[in-house]
Amino acid sequence: MKTIDFCVNGKNVSVICSPAKTLLDVLREDAGLTGSKECCGKGECGSCTVLLNDVPVCSCLVLAGQVEGERVVTVEGIGTKQAMDPVQQAFVDEGATQCGYCTPGLIVASRAYLTSIGHVPGLDEIKRALGGNLCRCTGYTKILQAVQTAAARQLSSREL
Amino acid sequence: MFVSEIDMLSPRSLKECLFILENEKSSLRLLAGGTDAVVRMKEGKWRPDYWVNLKHVDELRFITIQKDEIQIGPLTTHSEIINSPLLQAHADVLVQACQEIGATQMQNMGTIGGNIATASPAGDTIPALYALGAVIELTSLSGKRMINVEDFFIGPGKTAAQPNEIISKIAFNVRGKNDIGIFQKLGPRKAQSISIVNAAVTLSMKQGTKECTGGRIAFGSVGPTVIRAKKCEAMLTLGPLTDEMIANIGRVAWKEVMPISDIRASASYRRDMASALLERGLYRLLKRWAEHEE
Ligand SMILES: Cc1cc2nc3c(=O)[nH]c(=O)nc-3n(C[C@H](O)[C@H](O)[C@H](O)COP(=O)(O)OP(=O)(O)OC[C@H]3O[C@@H](n4cnc5c(N)ncnc54)[C@H](O)[C@@H]3O)c2cc1C
Ligand code: FES
Ligand code: FES
Repeated sequence: MKTIDFCVNGKNVSVICSPAKTLLDVLREDAGLTGSKECCGKGECGSCTVLLNDVPVCSCLVLAGQVEGERVVTVEGIGTKQAMDPVQQAFVDEGATQCGYCTPGLIVASRAYLTSIGHVPGLDEIKRALGGNLCRCTGYTKILQAVQTAAARQLSSREL
Repeated sequence: MFVSEIDMLSPRSLKECLFILENEKSSLRLLAGGTDAVVRMKEGKWRPDYWVNLKHVDELRFITIQKDEIQIGPLTTHSEIINSPLLQAHADVLVQACQEIGATQMQNMGTIGGNIATASPAGDTIPALYALGAVIELTSLSGKRMINVEDFFIGPGKTAAQPNEIISKIAFNVRGKNDIGIFQKLGPRKAQSISIVNAAVTLSMKQGTKECTGGRIAFGSVGPTVIRAKKCEAMLTLGPLTDEMIANIGRVAWKEVMPISDIRASASYRRDMASALLERGLYRLLKRWAEHEE
């Protein structure tokens, strides 16, 4: 067991755990942040996506000992029920969620993608950017729509 | 051994890391992006006493040009390679290979050093490095040695690196303005798929013609290691790359690769696809060359 100090959603946390425990398990079991979900556990589906130093990664393949001193943002840090991020609002408005299991990962990945571009992306661009996030329910159409809607709103609010 | 029993060492410098590899008696394994290592830990295949976490060995993270040589640090991620203007200009074939790896998250996490060290016959950066004629620098406490990328791989998961050595640099010569390259991959789907066959081609073109003065062709996933198709390469300089010549080169590729049948594809399908990928790659390269010449 080791003490691991890192920053989650802007707060410093200190957890005592085995250094080979996954970041996903640390977030869910030790930090009480159950937004991120485990599905495949091997990097294929993206339901566990979090930002590590602003970059989307699969927290199921990051080990606790690797995040000592680093900055992590989970879906809980993207926005709250009271103050939703435009991506979250667009997912609600477009009905881009069914069972919701993939949603936290998709929100994090979409947020990072939209922060990195300054235009409304085409469908092929979004498919490429979000190729690491699987959804078994929606058939993706509404997810793609939601990302475009969020991008359009983000652009118009920047122009205001 | 349980995952909860595995400890971690996080050296702050290359020297400290090499010292650990030389002197630590317990079982160790290096950990870079973790995209191969953590999956294998979960499967129960890799349960070392210690992970040696490379995250803080910042001297292994670089992309530079020294005289006529491009040098890449092993901790460079696939995303960093894709976004590097230097590599976009001088190593198109490697940039394209990294774009085909996994999806965004895996490109952000996975490193070129990890891709090489895993030594998968389907590893996507490896054919690109063959086509660039890259060399790999291995460092241990007692010194450094350079090894040609083609001599580095011994079999699936087996390399020429000793337990006390670490991959410390990947290097290749700067290419001229008439040098072009392409990476082609066939996987079960576009994102997140292991190559059924992949191919990397670099050509040195003769100004104003469809002829080339030389080239390298490498295939992955058609044998125990990535291979160079030397018979196909020898045909590149026989004359202009006409439709007929390209078809002939494709036919030779069909014979030159030695694939096996496995869960992902049959041997005969792989042969067909190796020759198709090569022909398609050559056509695309020539198209790009013609556009560049205009
Ligand atoms: C969902 C998913 C999709 C994938 N898709 C692809 C794909 O399309 N194409 C592809 O080629 N690969 C793919 N991979 C495999 C993997 O992502 C790559 O091989 C990646 O480049 C490995 O790098 P890493 O930094 O994560 O290595 P790690 O997992 O950290 O390490 C892998 C091995 O390399 C050793 N190692 C790491 N750095 C060094 C060094 N500097 N010197 C010596 N040894 C070292 C480690 O000890 C370990 O044995 C995929 C993996 C996943 C989980
Ligand atoms: S649970 Fe991490 S990628 Fe599927
Ligand atoms: S909404 Fe169910 S998996 Fe995406």
